[in-house]
Amino acid sequence: MLAVALFGFAGFAILCLSMEKHYKDLLSAAPSAARLRSLRVGGWLLLLVALWLAVRHSGWAMGLVELFAVLMAGVTFWVFLLPYKPRLLLGALAISLVLGPVLVVLPSA
Amino acid sequence: MKSKAAGLPLSYRLAVTSRCLAAVFGGYLLASMSSVCISLLAPIPKAEAVISGMMLSFLFYLVAFLWCFASRSAWQAWLGVLLPSLVLGAINGLAYWMKS
Amino acid sequence: MKEGFRQAMAWLHTWTGLIFGWLLFAIFLTGTLSYFKEEITHWAQPEVPTRALDPAASLALAQTYLQEHAPNAGSWFIRLPEAREPALSVGWRAEGAGRRGFIDKTLDPATGEEVQARETRGGDFFYRFHFQLEMPHPWGRWLSTFAAFIMLLGLVTGIITHKKIFKEFFTFRPGKGQRSWLDGHNAIGVLVLPFHLMISYSSLVIFMSMVMPASIIASYGDNTRGFFNDLFGAPREVKATGVAAPMLPLPTLYEKVQEQAPGTRLGWIEVQNPGDQNARVRFTRHAGDRIAHMRGGGWTYDGVNGELQGASTIEATPMLISGGMYGLHMGVFAGPWLRWLYFFFGLAGTAVIGTGLVLWLGKRQLKHAKSGSQPGELRLVEVLNIASMSGLLLGVAAFFWANRLLPVGLEGRAGWEVNSFFLLWGLSVLHAMLRPGRRAWAEQLGLAALLWGTLPLLNQLTTGHGLVHSIAAGDWAMAGVDLTALGSGLFLAWAAMKMWRPPVVAAKRAPKAAKAASANLIESEVN
Repeated sequence: MLAVALFGFAGFAILCLSMEKHYKDLLSAAPSAARLRSLRVGGWLLLLVALWLAVRHSGWAMGLVELFAVLMAGVTFWVFLLPYKPRLLLGALAISLVLGPVLVVLPSA
Repeated sequence: MKSKAAGLPLSYRLAVTSRCLAAVFGGYLLASMSSVCISLLAPIPKAEAVISGMMLSFLFYLVAFLWCFASRSAWQAWLGVLLPSLVLGAINGLAYWMKS
Repeated sequence: MKEGFRQAMAWLHTWTGLIFGWLLFAIFLTGTLSYFKEEITHWAQPEVPTRALDPAASLALAQTYLQEHAPNAGSWFIRLPEAREPALSVGWRAEGAGRRGFIDKTLDPATGEEVQARETRGGDFFYRFHFQLEMPHPWGRWLSTFAAFIMLLGLVTGIITHKKIFKEFFTFRPGKGQRSWLDGHNAIGVLVLPFHLMISYSSLVIFMSMVMPASIIASYGDNTRGFFNDLFGAPREVKATGVAAPMLPLPTLYEKVQEQAPGTRLGWIEVQNPGDQNARVRFTRHAGDRIAHMRGGGWTYDGVNGELQGASTIEATPMLISGGMYGLHMGVFAGPWLRWLYFFFGLAGTAVIGTGLVLWLGKRQLKHAKSGSQPGELRLVEVLNIASMSGLLLGVAAFFWANRLLPVGLEGRAGWEVNSFFLLWGLSVLHAMLRPGRRAWAEQLGLAALLWGTLPLLNQLTTGHGLVHSIAAGDWAMAGVDLTALGSGLFLAWAAMKMWRPPVVAAKRAPKAAKAASANLIESEVN
């Protein structure tokens, strides 16, 4: 379940970065249209992985419920902390991108 | 909507009241008619049809409410809820008569 | 209404939001508390002991008790203790008594003895309040259901009005006065939108038989019993024969249920005609076993020979959908982390409403900032805002304080706890009327911070179950309530301090620019 939350968090964070305004604010660089597009695709892919993991873990009914719950929690956390601790959140994003796949690959997850 | 607090004309206030009544009561009528229509016409067992009708009725109520405040005039608000209610009512009457 | 669809929807959103916002805030706050109603009840009745769970043993004790105290009752009810509810509850309808003659007792799950716990409504008070509003039946339910519809309307009109819903999906800009409040209102609305929509729509579905009976009448006429039988399965009521016969021990039947469906959690157990030839024992599934919350179903056994009389589950799709909505709303199926998320999303819904009320007033108060006085209508809204938000928080705190301060043996103390809730809430209305706006906020929030923050201390001083004890004993329900109270107190203290300082908004810009900025605020939302 933690993996679902991490993939979901990362997915929304990447989608946030795929918006020019937020990219500029967070990464202090001007992104190309291609980069923004690939971030957008990447973000959605991560969310799809989260969906797949949730359903695999708990079935369709509970899986969707749990997925929505962690997604809402994650994105709320991101948005409200963003003006205060952007670097912390970027760090959390980096950790999610690493820890998420690790948890999926490990047999205990 | 721009409005000065105390200076609202009576006609405006009446129109708003009319829309509210159309939404609350007219909308309820429309929702009930749609609920009955679904429960009488849906080709599923009776109890299931009734449940489906009730669950979906709130969507009709919602749309009716939005219509009552989006329409160009209060008259149109009433028309927009009463006319469909009439039509659905007729269908319901026919379906009820055919079932019994 | 002539200015365009979005404008009309914005108007509708603003006005329905205001008129119903005060009520909806109360509904959402008490509803949110209800996700932990069992824990609150446990906190409110520290006398009820928590024991290791043993369903079979508890059943046996319950049966012994009921056989001794209610041998001639028409039916018995047993509710087994579980992780979130430590009490073993038994109940029966007294012989020959009508609807009012229901007696229920709380037993110690280890000894089967009656527990003398202080009389309280506990978490159930908030649960019932949030859909009955302490009003006579059925008016409270009608009002709360209509309010739920207005909430749904508010969400939909909000979505329509919020032109930049995708563009500003991740946007929150603090420190900018009204802009920040609007950002916050939008963010907490949009980011948690699936929950808000689910909660609102499911509220309507829960009471749909009451508020939208047209289709029942059209399809079943006045045979409403027929409708409910089709829905839940006809209740297998068998009459007593008048011939006495010994009942099987309930644990034996419990084993049979476990054979039928291993690992099943039980809801409640009903014994019809105990001690009679026609005794029937019905085991119902625990509502938390699946998402869909369904009445009916379960297993019924002959109480004398143990034969399975019937088992049923409802699988029809529309029933699963309505039951699913009911279940999603109630969240009984939720485990610990999901339950906490329910709680936070409930608070988010409460915050959507609260920020909306603040926005409504703030925008109009800015218009009158230069003149120094505000028209009567705005003052009314200000008083209602304060009373319905910080006042309500005071009322809830009063309930908990009364629970600890009222003498345990006091006659009718449950009613007095409820009275305390309304009393302090009512006083807060008076206070809000007498004090200037910001001051009233600061004072009420400050008092609320004090009451909530010191609740754990009060608990420690009046019972033996303060934080030190409850954490050491692993009683997380008790500790959880104390800790949440403490956290709330800290948050309210922060809020009170913010209100104590004079407002910053006007200082940063020239009044003209501020007015223009705020005027642009709502216009830009809609254009």
